[in-house]
Amino acid sequence: MTEKISFTINGEYRSVEIDEEMMVIDVIRDVLDLTGTKRGCDNATCGTCVIVMNGKAVKSCNTPASKMQGANILTIEGLAKGMELHPIQKAIAESGAVQCGFCTPGIVMELHALLESKPDASETELSNALNKHLCRCTGYEPIRDGALIAQQLIRERMTEKA
Amino acid sequence: MAYKYLGKSYIRPDAINKVTGKAVFLDDIRLPGMLHAAILRPKYAHARILSIDTSEAEKCPGVVKVVTGKGCTYRYGDNIRDLVPMAIDKVRHIGEPVAAVIADTPRHAYAALDKIKVEYDPLPVYIDARQAMSEDAVLIHEELGEYWHLPTLNPKPGTNIANVYHLKKGRGEEGFEEADVIIEGEFNYPFGSCAALEPHGSIVWFKEDRTIEIWSSSICPFIIRDDIAHSYGVPVSDVRVHIPDIGGCFGYKSDITVEQTIAWIASFVPGRPVKWVASRKEDITSTLLAHGIRTVMKIGAKRDGKLVALKTTVYHSGGAYSDTAVNVTIAATHNSTGPYEFEHCDLTGYTVYTNTPPVGAFRGYGHPEPQFATERMMDMLARKLNMDPFELRRKNYLREGSTNSLGERMWKSNGDMQACAERVQQIVFGKPKEKQEDDQFYYGRGFAALMKSPKGAPFSTKGCYMKMNIDGSVSVNMGGAEVGQGLRTVVRQIAAEALKIPPEKVRCYNEIDTQFSPYEWQTIGSMFTMQGGRAIVRAAEKLIQGLKKTAAQVLRTDEDYLEYDGEYVYLRSDPSIRVPVTQLARGYITDNGITIGDLAQSVADARLPRYSNPDQNGQGNLGVTYTFGAQAAEIRIEKKTGRIYVDHFASVFDVGQVINPIQIRGTVLGGVLMGLGAALYEEVKFDEEGRILNPHYFQYHIPTYKEAPQQTIEFIETPDPIGAFGARGIGEHPVIGVPPAILNAIYDAIGVDFYEIPVTPEKIKQALEARTEKEYA
Repeated sequence: MTEKISFTINGEYRSVEIDEEMMVIDVIRDVLDLTGTKRGCDNATCGTCVIVMNGKAVKSCNTPASKMQGANILTIEGLAKGMELHPIQKAIAESGAVQCGFCTPGIVMELHALLESKPDASETELSNALNKHLCRCTGYEPIRDGALIAQQLIRERMTEKA
Repeated sequence: MAYKYLGKSYIRPDAINKVTGKAVFLDDIRLPGMLHAAILRPKYAHARILSIDTSEAEKCPGVVKVVTGKGCTYRYGDNIRDLVPMAIDKVRHIGEPVAAVIADTPRHAYAALDKIKVEYDPLPVYIDARQAMSEDAVLIHEELGEYWHLPTLNPKPGTNIANVYHLKKGRGEEGFEEADVIIEGEFNYPFGSCAALEPHGSIVWFKEDRTIEIWSSSICPFIIRDDIAHSYGVPVSDVRVHIPDIGGCFGYKSDITVEQTIAWIASFVPGRPVKWVASRKEDITSTLLAHGIRTVMKIGAKRDGKLVALKTTVYHSGGAYSDTAVNVTIAATHNSTGPYEFEHCDLTGYTVYTNTPPVGAFRGYGHPEPQFATERMMDMLARKLNMDPFELRRKNYLREGSTNSLGERMWKSNGDMQACAERVQQIVFGKPKEKQEDDQFYYGRGFAALMKSPKGAPFSTKGCYMKMNIDGSVSVNMGGAEVGQGLRTVVRQIAAEALKIPPEKVRCYNEIDTQFSPYEWQTIGSMFTMQGGRAIVRAAEKLIQGLKKTAAQVLRTDEDYLEYDGEYVYLRSDPSIRVPVTQLARGYITDNGITIGDLAQSVADARLPRYSNPDQNGQGNLGVTYTFGAQAAEIRIEKKTGRIYVDHFASVFDVGQVINPIQIRGTVLGGVLMGLGAALYEEVKFDEEGRILNPHYFQYHIPTYKEAPQQTIEFIETPDPIGAFGARGIGEHPVIGVPPAILNAIYDAIGVDFYEIPVTPEKIKQALEARTEKEYA
């Protein structure tokens, strides 16, 4: 059974055909070739597949593709504006939070969902968000550092705008 | 020593691609006409295959071909050629490939897998080495005597023993006659998984022009190239292996593993690339496992604490194929001394065939497992001698003038073990413990010292190609696999320092391609910075020499009168007589267009100097370089739950020279957390039939954000004579001391000795209950 769905992804309107057993990650990686979103486990444990859907961090590996209908979706490819990195990307790149980089897209998207809606997120909220992601390389400390720098950059950006 | 570009935290060149999602990992590669494979795993961990019926699977939608091991005539392996790409008449472990479906999509391939019917005749299953060593054990490899193996290995045909390694130093076991005190213990470091976030995978393409093209998430492209060429009888130059970005390795993506299986599958559909990527379950059940090492240890000492004799027996459950385990066993055996000098050693390591997936490299490569025993035993010995454990260790550390088990003499330039230990002691034990317990918790502190050498090989060289461009920028091309350790940053900084140009002017390779990359054995053993770094320095020296040679013609003088500063080659006696390097890069073009001199490019490589095979005593120049370190844990044990919280962890290593502070801290942070996982959570569990009970992240728990301790990390810099600018290896070392430090802290907290890891809350609660019973008995 195929079904046609339409949605906005990274600011572009797209219309695709899906099978009923497809998950969001299948559409993103295999139909749209947006390979920045990663698959690291079989059962929604590792967090590498996290994207932002209607402003919320969502595990794309266990979200049915039909949920994309009418949604506004953001993946890691949609954050930078041309050559200009999003503050979260900049902070994560500079804090030492990137080693192998396989968990990075999911973590960046998790932070995006949190900090863009709640720039004043508490340390507990940050830590609850990051605790949903596995990283085997960094010992997490540089990821925390990056998240805190990102939060600072986002706050500064808001002050500049105000 | 002060360097211009070393010791500074430059951002890694691959960070931007990784935060924008543009880094290309194996599963991100799409090729025209690409097919997908799914692999059938057996129902039994040890069984004869009676029949395989693929007829139903062949009729499924999208299926192009169904493949079995029938007709496979070759075996492969780098150390013992005992591996088959797909089971032929027998399965030896639960993750072994039995058959495969090639289809247009992964979904179609997996759907057809269920339709393959296999009949088995089950055989007895052995999980632990000592079960498989029993006299009446069924042979896992009846053909062991026929396998090609390295001349340094010693398999025992007619048994399940794949290799025995023995080392004798001094009087061996007779040395215990000189001991006043003897202690013994048995320790277990169970099976683990590297569990990198990116599962292993490969793409293989047998092309119509008779070349074979391969992509793999592996750190040994040249081994894959050579091995596949050998198996398929084609010239090595006709096999081309690409290595894209790798999402973590930690050991199990070294050596040739899944690539031969995917090649076998792809060989049935020539002309079409075939991709296979492990599910998480397959990553744990069918690629390399880790550890599986029992260490039986006996230490003899004088009354004053001077160590005299060590007897170690390493029982390594090597899995169904031992090609990848044999060298881990050897490393575990001769490194079981830890960072101490014993005058007499009697060390034996058995690599034993068992019915688990093959066991191979894990960060630390045979060092964490026996040194877990050594470091626990040092604390126990100190108690027995009624001696301060720091004093006991200090008396026996390897230092200038002492010799290790291999008979290698230690020099000052090997690093300062004692300085590392003293610093950690100061950080963690510098002030008295605040409290032993309160209503909720017991408190403990524990220490461990450690050492690690690489596990080299005679041909373990690393190459470097370097070329200077017409704007003076430099491209560096190497065969080192970037798994996250940050070697591209290291390449950039070392090349910048050696060439006296800013790192921004050095661009280093992204992917490895055996057609264009210089040879590298494998990116293993924490050797890239020191060995690869030396190759860079050598290449830079050659390149500078080449520039001088051309400049000597331009300036009409002799090469040895010239100096180089990164921008110019100039006359030492009169620096105003000079030529810019930008005019030398393609040779020097004179006014009338006649060009003289050579392209500014160079080739170099570096290996461990005088690395050798073991002699008849198992000794020799097998270590060559050492990194020493010390670690300590401060923990809390929750009385109600038995849960262990690591509040603070300290590490100090003598790394010779810090190249990049933010990266080296990252290496230690991650390594310590990995060691913490081993100490408290991680064990790949088997049932009696050889099935893996926890092949998923939600079952095989790796440490999470909230479980990461606060860490203090420092470095001592005693320059190394081999490594570039004095740097030595650090990649694996941070894992080694973590379990013994934590278990020593557990003893400090509750007075209970643990001999195996992981120490789970259940084990703590049992121990506390047993302790209470004893008190009231």
